[in-house]
Amino acid sequence: MVRFRLNELKASGWELNPMAIKQGERMKKFDLELCVGLFMILGILCLGYLSIKLGKLEVLGSQGYEVEAIFSNGGGIKSGSSVVIAGVEIGRVKQVGLDDYQARVLMDLPFDVKIQEDAIASIKTRGLIGDKFIEITPGGSEELIRPGGRIRDTQSAVDLEELISNYVFGKL
Amino acid sequence: MIEKYRIRYCLRLSLGGFLLMVMLAVPCFAGAPTDGVKKTTDRILAIVSDPALKGPENKGKRGQLIRQAVDERFNWEAMTKRSLARHWQKRTDAEKKEFIALFGKLLERTYLDKVGSYSGEKVIYVDETIDGKYGTVTAKILTHSQTEVLVCYRLKEVGGDWQVYDISVEGVSLVNNYRKQFNSIILRSSYDDLVQKLRAKVAEKD
Repeated sequence: MVRFRLNELKASGWELNPMAIKQGERMKKFDLELCVGLFMILGILCLGYLSIKLGKLEVLGSQGYEVEAIFSNGGGIKSGSSVVIAGVEIGRVKQVGLDDYQARVLMDLPFDVKIQEDAIASIKTRGLIGDKFIEITPGGSEELIRPGGRIRDTQSAVDLEELISNYVFGKL
Repeated sequence: MIEKYRIRYCLRLSLGGFLLMVMLAVPCFAGAPTDGVKKTTDRILAIVSDPALKGPENKGKRGQLIRQAVDERFNWEAMTKRSLARHWQKRTDAEKKEFIALFGKLLERTYLDKVGSYSGEKVIYVDETIDGKYGTVTAKILTHSQTEVLVCYRLKEVGGDWQVYDISVEGVSLVNNYRKQFNSIILRSSYDDLVQKLRAKVAEKD
């Protein structure tokens, strides 16, 4: 059976020469290298995906709109801090800057969350000494804040130390 | 020749002085929002420190006069609307009207007694910002023990008149405080329950 096959192969012009065997080996080696390469690329892609996902970076631009707010005291809010409505995180702080010696905070909000013109943004602390975040209490106005607009009513971070010092020195 | 230079020098000096004066004068200039707040505050302070209106027997009259002064400056509708927030739009006109009256009464009850305990604290107007139809006025209240209390008025221009729609004391907003309380009461029970609670609160000791 095998001999028959071999004859058939020989008839079709196939020869069992050493060169051909070497070539086959080379092909196999090439396949292996390709596999390793693909595996490496896959690994790098996974790593990239993980770092973007965990670092919460934006690659394809934001899928939302920006709203700014001016606070007299930022209380150490950072870009990346969360923006919360009713305790649910809806967006993040994109940029914090100084504007006429006041804190100007740029927030990134998703399009499906509409903010009314009379909404109030306040800087809060998680727990007593925890992270700072921005809480938006929705208003009742029919007018909505347009992309790039501003939340006019803001409530700055309550400075605990200042309150205590006021209380302490107020007793003098 | 020297004389000519001297004249020129004097001219320049006086011009510089004038410019300096103008520059210094600009920050001291009080705009319409501050004027409005100041007028009302002065009026209330005059009522409170009027010896003819002192004493418990004049309490009713005094309260009425203060309420009149406050009514002129405060936009109760805007204040109530902002405090009820999302629940405002669901109300009928009659309900809105009733709630505005109730809310005004509530604030009157809560703060009128405090105004009565006034004893010569000073009010200093610190800052003012105007952004289109909206403005803020920041004032400091100096107590006798030299403690400063920062009060920020938020105003909106309505027909050429600046009206207050929110007050922040030490950075804590009145509207935000009531907005959260009203919202939680309405979500927990109902709007009718909130109205009943307000009615009970207003009727207390009356």
